[in-house]
Amino acid sequence: MTDLGSPIQGVTLYSFTRASHAREYDLESLMRKVAAEGFGPGLEIIGFSSFRGFPTIDPAFAEEFRGLVSELDLVTTSLAVNADIGIYRDRLLNQDELIAYMTRQIEAAATLGFPIARVQISLTPDSMEQLVPVAEKHGVTLALEVHADQYASHPRILALRDRYEKIGSPLLGFTMDWGATTVGFAPSAIEAYRRRGASEELLTEVVDLWNTFYSQGPPANQEVHGQRFGAFIGLAHKHGRPEFGIDFGINGTGLFGPARVNDWLEIMPWIRHVHGKFFGIDENGEEPSVPVRDLITLLVENGYKGAVSSEYEGWHWNYWQSPFDIIRAEQAVQRSAADAAGSRMITDSAEARAQLATHLGQLQR
Amino acid sequence: MIADRIIEQGTLTTTGTRASVDVRIPWYRALPGSCIAGAGLTIDGVAAPAESLRWTMNGKEFTFEELSTNVEEWWFPLDSAVLSGDIPLAVDGAEHEVGVDLVLYIPYIVTDHGVLHIEERGRATMKAVAA
Repeated sequence: MTDLGSPIQGVTLYSFTRASHAREYDLESLMRKVAAEGFGPGLEIIGFSSFRGFPTIDPAFAEEFRGLVSELDLVTTSLAVNADIGIYRDRLLNQDELIAYMTRQIEAAATLGFPIARVQISLTPDSMEQLVPVAEKHGVTLALEVHADQYASHPRILALRDRYEKIGSPLLGFTMDWGATTVGFAPSAIEAYRRRGASEELLTEVVDLWNTFYSQGPPANQEVHGQRFGAFIGLAHKHGRPEFGIDFGINGTGLFGPARVNDWLEIMPWIRHVHGKFFGIDENGEEPSVPVRDLITLLVENGYKGAVSSEYEGWHWNYWQSPFDIIRAEQAVQRSAADAAGSRMITDSAEARAQLATHLGQLQR
Repeated sequence: MIADRIIEQGTLTTTGTRASVDVRIPWYRALPGSCIAGAGLTIDGVAAPAESLRWTMNGKEFTFEELSTNVEEWWFPLDSAVLSGDIPLAVDGAEHEVGVDLVLYIPYIVTDHGVLHIEERGRATMKAVAA
């Protein structure tokens, strides 16, 4: 039997996008807030969000950043990097350009002291294989994010898994994003549409449509995904509110994925990092659309000892609640679930640091 | 998406024949010039001619054609860009309705229809000050 896991608690600064975009916090003050609130010890940052000039990192800045992480006793987990394959207007990056583009960001992860680089689905099995020497040179784990509308048993993800198995590098893996396995259209998103004047009839039909897709399971291929996206747009048109169509489609298919929690078992041994994606906390202190307790239980029962970055994404529409209150409440659910599963979340920095290094198969720095 | 903050309050300036306003990115991460696909500027319902529009970021001014190939200059999420165009506007103490339309490419999301683009619209009311 697998030893019980003990996930490391943490947060991604992405959760606080609205507060940082509003210039209420700069990078340093936001990191200080995270530490003071006890939202760590794990700390994840998106390179292109938080570091000016990324992926170029000035060595003096890197030293300053590492000093701040150390002073605050945080543990850097994942640097989220982007596969910007469509950066040119007239063509996609060619393979050499893409590898060079990713290499610079992986180097930035190493410079800033992140042991993981979160990479994205535009990277094919061939690209991941090509990046292994870069990962090895810098000692950075490449954790490709499995995000709705994909899911663990999606053919593209299984193709990556199968290549990982063939390559056998400990530095290749996945980031599990909980948004792939939700159980409802987030009520806070529905509330936001209500505040924008959507009728109750329309909102009821949006929820019903999502529930129908949930009952059918995740889209078997891109064609089905496209049909579902189109169905959300059609609903908005039918109710004379076409301006909501794209938003329903993006959220209904790209944020609220309808795969089941057990689907993650397909890739469990390759999960190196977790995005604890969620959208809100209800009056009972629970997440109404993401099965946080089931997901934590799954991780504990399968021996997961990496980090979970609480990733609050309700900020897209929820301008009326504090993301800090919401993160605090969601992490309480995670800890409660881990306890109930007979284990615990790691919240001590030294313990987290040692456990993460072991989890990633790396020498402790 | 953060469409509610596209136009920065209190930043409308005019030379008499040319107006400008500060613009925030409605997205969570930096994008290069090539991903700023287009913009529109209206004051009290009057649109600036497309060919008169200019985009200033990182202290440099660009036409949208120049932006389309630029992957060197990035729009950082904390920075304001400046959108300007030919619109006659007086410093008259009146409230003016400003509109900014923005089209951005999201370079890491490639769909069956090409690279994803988002269209956002900001509206704000403010007085004009002399440039």
